[in-house]
Amino acid sequence: MSTPTRRVDAREKVTGAARYGADRTSPDLAHAVFAVSTIGKGRVVNVDTAAAEAVPGVLTVVTRIDPAELGSPGFLMGGGYGFQSLQPLTDDRIAYRGQPIALVVADTLVAATEAANLVRADYEPEPIATDLDDEGAETLVQEEAIPLPFLADIVVGDADAAFVKSPVRIEASFDLPRQHQVPMELIGGVVEWRGDTLVVHEGTQNAGALRGGLARQLGMDLAKIEVIAPYTGGGFGQKNSLQPHVGPLALAARRLGRPIKFVMPRTQTFHQASFRPASRHRVRLGADETGRMLAAVHEVDQQTSRHDLFPSMSTEITSRLYGIGDFRGRQRLVRTDVQTPGFMRAPFEHPAAFAFESAVDELAYAVGQDPVSLRLANDTDVDPVTGQPFSSRHLAECLRRGADMFGWAGRTHEPRSMRAADGSRIGWGVAAGVYPASLAPAVARVTATSEGKVTVGVDGHEMGQGIRTAITLLISEDLSIEVGDVTVYVGDTRVAPQHLTAGSWGTATALQAVHAALRELRKHLNVADSDPVDLGAAVAATGQTSVEVEATTIAPGQPPEIIEHSRAGLVSFAGPVYPGFVAFSFIAHFVEVRIEPTTRRIRVPRVVSVADCGRVASPVTAASQLRGAVVWGIGASLREESEVDPRFGGFANATLEEYPIPVNADIGEIEVGFVDEPDPMLNPVGVKGLGEVAMVGVAAAIANAVFHATGRRQRRLPIRIEDVL
Amino acid sequence: MRPFSYAVPATLAEAVSALAASEPGTKILAGGTTLYDLMKLDIEAPPAVVDVHRLAELAAIDTTRPDEFSFGAGARMADVADDPVVRRDFPVLAESLAKAASQQLRNMATVGGNLLQRTRCGYFRGGPAFPCNKREPGSGCSAIGGLDRGHALFGAGDACVATYPGDWAVALLAFDAEIDVIGPRGVRTVAVGDLHVEPGDDPQREHTLAGDELIVRIRVPVTPSGRGSTYHKIRDRESYAFALVSVAAGVAFDDRGVVEDCRIALGGVATRPWRSPAAEAVLIGERLTEATARRAGEQAFAGARPGTGNAFKIELGIRAVGDALRIAGERAGR
Ligand SMILES: Cc1cc2nc3c(=O)[nH]c(=O)nc-3n(C[C@H](O)[C@H](O)[C@H](O)COP(=O)(O)OP(=O)(O)OC[C@H]3O[C@@H](n4cnc5c(N)ncnc54)[C@H](O)[C@@H]3O)c2cc1C
Ligand code: SF4
Repeated sequence: MSTPTRRVDAREKVTGAARYGADRTSPDLAHAVFAVSTIGKGRVVNVDTAAAEAVPGVLTVVTRIDPAELGSPGFLMGGGYGFQSLQPLTDDRIAYRGQPIALVVADTLVAATEAANLVRADYEPEPIATDLDDEGAETLVQEEAIPLPFLADIVVGDADAAFVKSPVRIEASFDLPRQHQVPMELIGGVVEWRGDTLVVHEGTQNAGALRGGLARQLGMDLAKIEVIAPYTGGGFGQKNSLQPHVGPLALAARRLGRPIKFVMPRTQTFHQASFRPASRHRVRLGADETGRMLAAVHEVDQQTSRHDLFPSMSTEITSRLYGIGDFRGRQRLVRTDVQTPGFMRAPFEHPAAFAFESAVDELAYAVGQDPVSLRLANDTDVDPVTGQPFSSRHLAECLRRGADMFGWAGRTHEPRSMRAADGSRIGWGVAAGVYPASLAPAVARVTATSEGKVTVGVDGHEMGQGIRTAITLLISEDLSIEVGDVTVYVGDTRVAPQHLTAGSWGTATALQAVHAALRELRKHLNVADSDPVDLGAAVAATGQTSVEVEATTIAPGQPPEIIEHSRAGLVSFAGPVYPGFVAFSFIAHFVEVRIEPTTRRIRVPRVVSVADCGRVASPVTAASQLRGAVVWGIGASLREESEVDPRFGGFANATLEEYPIPVNADIGEIEVGFVDEPDPMLNPVGVKGLGEVAMVGVAAAIANAVFHATGRRQRRLPIRIEDVL
Repeated sequence: MRPFSYAVPATLAEAVSALAASEPGTKILAGGTTLYDLMKLDIEAPPAVVDVHRLAELAAIDTTRPDEFSFGAGARMADVADDPVVRRDFPVLAESLAKAASQQLRNMATVGGNLLQRTRCGYFRGGPAFPCNKREPGSGCSAIGGLDRGHALFGAGDACVATYPGDWAVALLAFDAEIDVIGPRGVRTVAVGDLHVEPGDDPQREHTLAGDELIVRIRVPVTPSGRGSTYHKIRDRESYAFALVSVAAGVAFDDRGVVEDCRIALGGVATRPWRSPAAEAVLIGERLTEATARRAGEQAFAGARPGTGNAFKIELGIRAVGDALRIAGERAGR
């Protein structure tokens, strides 16, 4: 079988044949729009809907829903299903600017929009706190506020004492801004009732949570809810849970007896869904004169909402980057008046690595060592936190190969020592990244026919990362059939539980289940595991026209019951610490920046990134994941900040025009490489994760390059023109 | 968006009579990239629009006359930006359009509508939650003491500090362009320099055209400094962003290499397109060097009045003026 040079659903996507949630239509479709709070916090005392209701075509304006009719979905990280626990419209509290105060449903989108604009409300406003240092922001120690073992501070040895005794000490504090995911596909879809079954078509990374959460909110039987999401137009964590618009839409659709379509306007996606919280990272690094790291202290303050505690897991990776004997993490959460923040690509690891890997670069300069050599000299085979081996760790290979591809040997060490012909300062920077290799339970059902075709339904969501392609390739290679003879169903609760696809466990999780189902299939067909097979003939030989098998897989060390937890739509993954080993993916990034001599625009003409993600399951989509993550890293370090006016709350630059994600003209050459060593200890397909680790460290590599170009450390993101003028 | 009536006159004359007969508040619609946008935001709510986007009489681009280029108000930004003669003989004009918005917008938007685009101040566009004198007279100005990184250093007052966001008008201002306007009271000509006004105590008023007056064409005198010109735009990303600072610059040298004509206008830093005759005067009669260019930049930004988050634009702007003059000088063949 030849490896395809494009993703298997490329044609559907390019021609518009791929059906996204909001692409559903039907003759009696009604349209919904939310009117939202114009204050940052307080109480809504009266909502005037008269003008809205008078707009021709308006079917209903809902301002209050009885909590008995629509309960809280619970918070995803608190044993629930929602991006936050707060369900708008169920009481008079306003917790953040942009919180829905009324739902308008109308015959047309135009009527619904006009009516929503005409909703007026009276409020009793209260003072707000929006930033880490604001008066009224409340700081909690995470391990006290949420006493769960995996959220406890990581403490190994006595880092504070070891730091004080270290001959070389680096100490710095780093500030990271709030950012938003802004996926191309807006949040929303179509909600409809088929008899007493609720059907939701919506782009999501977690169809299982939509189902489980709606069952909880509406008091329904899981079996009466179907969530169908064959394609998600980008999620990046923003679509990892039940959004609070779905419950009200379900109620309205039932009452009106019509399907309802809702597409959240871009500005509302900044306020009604999760985002990357602001965070501050204080790093202390102790080393000997040769740069051997002896102690590290990593303290984190991370923003959360008043109503939920969104935990930080920043030190999980910084404690594993190097073989540092004494490590102390401390994570605190700062309550502010926002919707609950959440997981945005490399949610903790991008900020954590920016801080830590910047500090490591400072150390390299403090001891006069090459930043790549210093990192290589501090590598480790054993997890310093648990003492267990890594299932695989090829960070050194990433660094060596990346340095080679980049031409690192041509770098001069001194800051401000490299200059281009046009007078621009050139800076070359490096940074490493780590990300946990987790796994989740999954069910795969494979049907093979005597025509040699295979259909598989499996846990997983296709949000552009290429999971459908990876699954197709696995089946096609295993059974020696053409890619075109494989049909994959993902993101559909009718075929599998649809556990959350996030945290880079999606591909490994789905492939492990499909792999197990293929072993089952071979058993049925009487074909040995490694033997070549003529699939159509083998199926025909059973006397049937088709054979169907099912397999369920879990992460190493998980109890079998975990699958029921997953079926309920609850988060059920495990890792990175497994019985007998730990598992992480690794990466090294090499960046060139050029800074104009006069107006000091920072450009990134060239990036080289080499990843260790275990076996590369799908070369085309893996390369594009990695390039996309580098683009994200460039945006995250040089462009993006969700701006807040502390007098008002909410987010000020909440449009695609004003929220400055990079454009094509901002991106230069991105060269990617893979170690491509299978990790059989983690799972039989040898796959770790890629989508998240790919972004970890990009920001630090850029900031380190800016230092190399200018001699000035950048400890706050984004680095903008005024920071280097 | 609220209901409105919609008329598509077939000729310019019909458009003029439609406007003469129209209700107060009626708006001319060209590409709609500003007007529809503001209608969706409920900032503009015209009872009626008169669509002139397809009027052939407004579409012409004429670069054949030796003394003057003329652009129909309905010419698309993309067409003017791509016009080979404009690009060769008047690069500042082509660049000011090519570096604006996105290709999709430039394909729709017209060079007439462009002149009357409104500020991108986030509080203005953000809706009734934010006090804004431009949107709601007397309500206050949220940008003062607020997020003002994009706001004006020049021409602002206590009522409003919003930046005029356009690029094209900055280039036109530097080169003494005029617009021909037609309305129920006849035809008149307005210098681009007299088109936009500072906010004063009435920030709702942004220009000097009456609601029933229609821009027919834009005329730009051809001059040697037009050949030696550039539009230098510094922004937060390489494309698809409004200016942090932009500079329309042009120079012409006499045969001894001394500057005999110089044009400097600024965008992104003032409440209206902002020309700096004092900066131009620094160079006239001098040689163009790094030092004189810097002096011109300093002169251009003398008197800047920053708020809380935009002071960096003074130094940035001074350097941008220097770079713009260098590029212009190279084109002028010093
Ligand atoms: C996302 C975005 C980014 C942008 N970036 C930039 C940028 O970087 N730089 C820049 O310069 N611009 C930028 N723009 C603005 C854009 O260039 C203007 O919206 C466009 O030029 C307006 O032209 P139009 O034909 O669409 O005008 P319309 O929206 O149709 O009209 C604009 C205004 O002009 C009036 N009008 C139109 N034609 C006439 C006429 N013939 N006579 C009298 N009045 C008339 C209308 O009544 C209305 O008030 C951006 C716009 C958007 C949406
Ligand atoms: S600067 Fe002008 S447009 Fe912006 S808020 Fe103030 S008054 Fe309104």
